[in-house]
Amino acid sequence: MIAVVVLLVAPLLAGGLSLVVRRSTLLHVINLISLGALVTAEFVITRTVLRDGPFTALGQLVYLDALSTFILFIIGAVGLACSFYMRSYMDEQVAQGVIAPTRLNLFFFLFHMFVLAMVVATVANSVGVQWVAIEATTLATTFLIAFWRRRESLEAGWKYLILCSVGISLALFGVVLLYYSSLQVLSDVSQGLNVTQLLPVADRLNPQVLKLAFIFILVGYGTKVGLVPMHSWLPDAYTEAPAPVVAMLAGVLEVVAVYAILRVRMIIDHAVPVDFTGGLLALLGFASFVTATFFILIQHNYKRLFAYSSIEHMGIAMIGFGVGGALGTFGGLFHLLNHGLAKSMAFFAAGNVHRRFHTVEIDHVQGVAIAQPWTAFGLMTSGLALSALPPFAAFASEFQIVAALASQGVPGVGFTGTEGMVTVALSDQFSRVALASVFLVSAVLSFGGLLYRMTGMVWGIPREGIVRGEIWTLGHLPIIFLAGALVGFGFFLPQPLQQLLEQAATILVIQ
Amino acid sequence: MQVLSSIGSQLVNVCSALLLLTCFAIVAQRRLSACVDLFALQSAFLVVTAALVAYLTGNQHIYIAAALTGVIKVIIIPRVLKKIIDRLNVKRELVMYINVQAGLLICGGLVMLAFFISQPIIPLGSLLTRDSLAIALAIVLIGLFTMIARQKAVTQLVGFLVMENGLFLGATAATHGMPLIVELGVFFDVLIAALIAGIYTNRLQDAFDSVDTSRLTALKE
Repeated sequence: MIAVVVLLVAPLLAGGLSLVVRRSTLLHVINLISLGALVTAEFVITRTVLRDGPFTALGQLVYLDALSTFILFIIGAVGLACSFYMRSYMDEQVAQGVIAPTRLNLFFFLFHMFVLAMVVATVANSVGVQWVAIEATTLATTFLIAFWRRRESLEAGWKYLILCSVGISLALFGVVLLYYSSLQVLSDVSQGLNVTQLLPVADRLNPQVLKLAFIFILVGYGTKVGLVPMHSWLPDAYTEAPAPVVAMLAGVLEVVAVYAILRVRMIIDHAVPVDFTGGLLALLGFASFVTATFFILIQHNYKRLFAYSSIEHMGIAMIGFGVGGALGTFGGLFHLLNHGLAKSMAFFAAGNVHRRFHTVEIDHVQGVAIAQPWTAFGLMTSGLALSALPPFAAFASEFQIVAALASQGVPGVGFTGTEGMVTVALSDQFSRVALASVFLVSAVLSFGGLLYRMTGMVWGIPREGIVRGEIWTLGHLPIIFLAGALVGFGFFLPQPLQQLLEQAATILVIQ
Repeated sequence: MQVLSSIGSQLVNVCSALLLLTCFAIVAQRRLSACVDLFALQSAFLVVTAALVAYLTGNQHIYIAAALTGVIKVIIIPRVLKKIIDRLNVKRELVMYINVQAGLLICGGLVMLAFFISQPIIPLGSLLTRDSLAIALAIVLIGLFTMIARQKAVTQLVGFLVMENGLFLGATAATHGMPLIVELGVFFDVLIAALIAGIYTNRLQDAFDSVDTSRLTALKE
């Protein structure tokens, strides 16, 4: 399968070349070509998967189904947008002397390794290989986060490295347990962690071991997603990292980590009642949603504002997956895409604002609309999209999730006697209404908090000494493009994408 | 055959217990370089355990994993850590959030917790390595505790490596080794993580004149 090879070789080759090439233009060209190749390969794979169904490649190492192809689509879309944005962003940083030209090589090398690790984590058949790749994303990004080498960036990078490594070690224990359970069932254990091997026998795996495994894996990869209470590294890292890196962290890495959780859940749900995994996911989802909303309300740093908004939206998606069913799962997956696009756009705009205003304090930024009209458009659009207002696509996905929540409730809540963590003795209907209300109140509060800050930044008159007017660069292209996609997907999903989403949701829902 | 496997099982258990014991020694140790030595000793016990399991079960690929552990965790990583310690000149007493006595008590509690959690799933394992899973979990938890309780960047790194040792013990003893490609990947990750953390400690030293992570407080709400 050539497309799969391209998927893996393009970032690898680009990373290797980035170390030896000296001219910055060439570095950008390599970057664009490599991500372009990635997207092209992704389209080919989408066609194959939609036509022939899931397939394995490279001797059982790679497994691609609608779910992983959908995740690849998000990686490709956000990655390509990033590489356009990097063209203007990095060049300006070099011109200003913030980055030494020689360090560009390192930046691009780590960026490509980051992309490669995410692709491997997505296409890997073995849950173990997936773990290795996700730990590799931590290692590739920690220096990208600390790239400015200021004290604060070093602190953020160190925190990220330690917290994520620890979290992910716990996930490895979960993977070991999963393997432990497969030993009792599979005769040939040399591939005992492969999804293709585990799925057919999943209902015979030991439920006790799987439950323990899921808790470890949820906590471990949940750290990487930034779910409350394992989120403390996230706002720091998002504030300190260069804008294109944050866009990738927020738009793609979180999604890949969610995917890793879903992949394992898909196996576990066959042996353990759906209530167990669903209840835990919804619990963490609500914790993240409500906590993040609170921090959005008191935030005075716009990058941290967007960081907490990331936690909030991942919480929303988790609630969708936790509630489950066709509607909740579809909404959750769709929300991952919408959030990825909107958040990368928000951080592109935030990066532009930071470069012009040289501050991250919301109170010190005024009149972006006058100083940088295009950026102001991006900031406002992403703000509206992240508040899930119509006509943006996030409205559709959030609406699906809250509809599923109101009609089905959270599994494990509302009746006693389940073995789940949550055994609240409330009538079923009451709990559904209560949870949906909590959801809607949090959504309204975060909407208010986010838009209040955005409008404060966009309108008004810029400070003395701030240059007015904005020159059109290649970096503005992704902002316009993403805005179009965010509105467009709200009205009309392209046929292949819709099919992909529907099939991915079907894979995740246990009949 | 029965006798052999029973002796084998005893030996594996003894080795696992020694691993756990070195964990306690690390928690009780105040000198940084001694911590690193103890980590190297723990890794050596891990090599012996892995080799024993490989011999008793006849799984050849565990020998490879054992050899890699020997090279990476007994030789390379301790040497790198020693170099860092020399450069940083932080041999003096460790600063801890929690004193040694309380730390040891907490670790004892963690061991009980680990056995409690893994009680329901232990009977599923093969006879040979039955209790190793609980011990592995205990080591992971103690490693986690070390990372939380200590302030120095280097000790946090040692805590992380102890966690990894626990995981490797779990993977070898309870499951007779994960698929080789996974194990190789894990080794690669651990090695790179240790090197990256080493580079960080240098940079932290340059930027803050200290590797005391309690000074990393610029970023907060």
